[in-house]
Amino acid sequence: MTDNTNIYKPLRANLVDVIEESPLIKTFVLIPEREFVFSTGQFIELSVDGVGEAPFTPSSSPLVTDKLEVTVMKTGYVTNIMHELKPGAVMGIRGPYGRGYPVKSFEGKEVLILGGGCGLAPIRSLLFTLEHMKDKLEKVILCYGSKSPTDCIYKPLFSRLNSIDKFETYRTVDRTEEGWDGPVGVATALLDKIKVKIENSVAVVCGPPIMMKFGTIRILEMGYRDDQIYLSMEKNMSCGLGKCGHCMMGEFFVCKDGPVFTYKEIKHNPEIWK
Amino acid sequence: MKMEIEDLKKIKFFEKFTEQQLETIASISSVKEFMVKEIIFEQYDELADVFILLQGSMSLGISLPKDKRIHLGTIEEGQLFSWSAIFPPYISTAWVMAITPAKVIAIDARKLNAEIDKDCDFGFKTMSKIAQTISHRLSDTRFQLMNQLNL
Repeated sequence: MTDNTNIYKPLRANLVDVIEESPLIKTFVLIPEREFVFSTGQFIELSVDGVGEAPFTPSSSPLVTDKLEVTVMKTGYVTNIMHELKPGAVMGIRGPYGRGYPVKSFEGKEVLILGGGCGLAPIRSLLFTLEHMKDKLEKVILCYGSKSPTDCIYKPLFSRLNSIDKFETYRTVDRTEEGWDGPVGVATALLDKIKVKIENSVAVVCGPPIMMKFGTIRILEMGYRDDQIYLSMEKNMSCGLGKCGHCMMGEFFVCKDGPVFTYKEIKHNPEIWK
Repeated sequence: MKMEIEDLKKIKFFEKFTEQQLETIASISSVKEFMVKEIIFEQYDELADVFILLQGSMSLGISLPKDKRIHLGTIEEGQLFSWSAIFPPYISTAWVMAITPAKVIAIDARKLNAEIDKDCDFGFKTMSKIAQTISHRLSDTRFQLMNQLNL
């Protein structure tokens, strides 16, 4: 948690490991200077002194409070510098901020998760939570698409999940490569394969905006109601406190009111897929 | 090999079809099997059958100059392909190849068109399902295009 005296002052965290997930994505394993508690789906501001900060949803289990994992895609100035960091570096953490997944309300249900690209990072945290509460769930289905087999992150996660009772995973890639014998096509096409009891189910969508748009449309077409669909929105969160307005989406501050929304809450917002 | 009505009932494509309509489908269908890497049809081939994949997995793609092939998607069990067999000019828009040993229902497209003309309820159900297949392909293609263009 952030220092009580200054809401913008980050908590120090030692970088103990850097895991290369794909050519553009790395996971940073951090040991915060004190216990760090968050709910799955909430986000943090991760910083490098003298460089800047950027928002990320932790990819580790919220049940682990002495270690935090954050998966970062190289996309700009701050993330380029983060990708140069080596174990031993010190980073800053502000947060956690916002509203995560209402996992308690998932009890007794089937959970369908549609993810794409780096969107698997918040989903991974959610999966840890769902694994912990699996006795209270009917089924968890993960459908995930990446651009290529090389771009798929957390590769060992899939075989581990498939070995867990009640968990099913499906993967696809946009472009095939040597050695890949799985499906080719967009992530939404995987939804044609799965068997789910829609009336007793919730759907979670997280990924690039374009995937979220097509994914949500396909999930609605399957018969889900708009209040059964949870979207994790990424909208340039900056202060994390609902003050700066960078992440405003209509009436909502994504940093404070989200980043997790039901589709029902935001479907009329013209900025939803921007 | 002839298709049995009980087997047709298990296929999602036919979930709203009546017993009589399934009998019609069975009378104009046959089961075909393909080996790994066997080409079901090439792009621009003239098509005689509409297919539904029963078992296995198939690859769908397009051909480019200099014999280059792009793999666009995977056809999974229960999915329809070769829809262009029922629309003039009855020319395939893609190639399809078996990537595992595969079993399909091949529905005679000329006879299917005749049944669609004869029975409007049968025709509506068939065309609704085909429209859904084409709509998904179009949506997936747009999604893929935007991914490729990094939009």
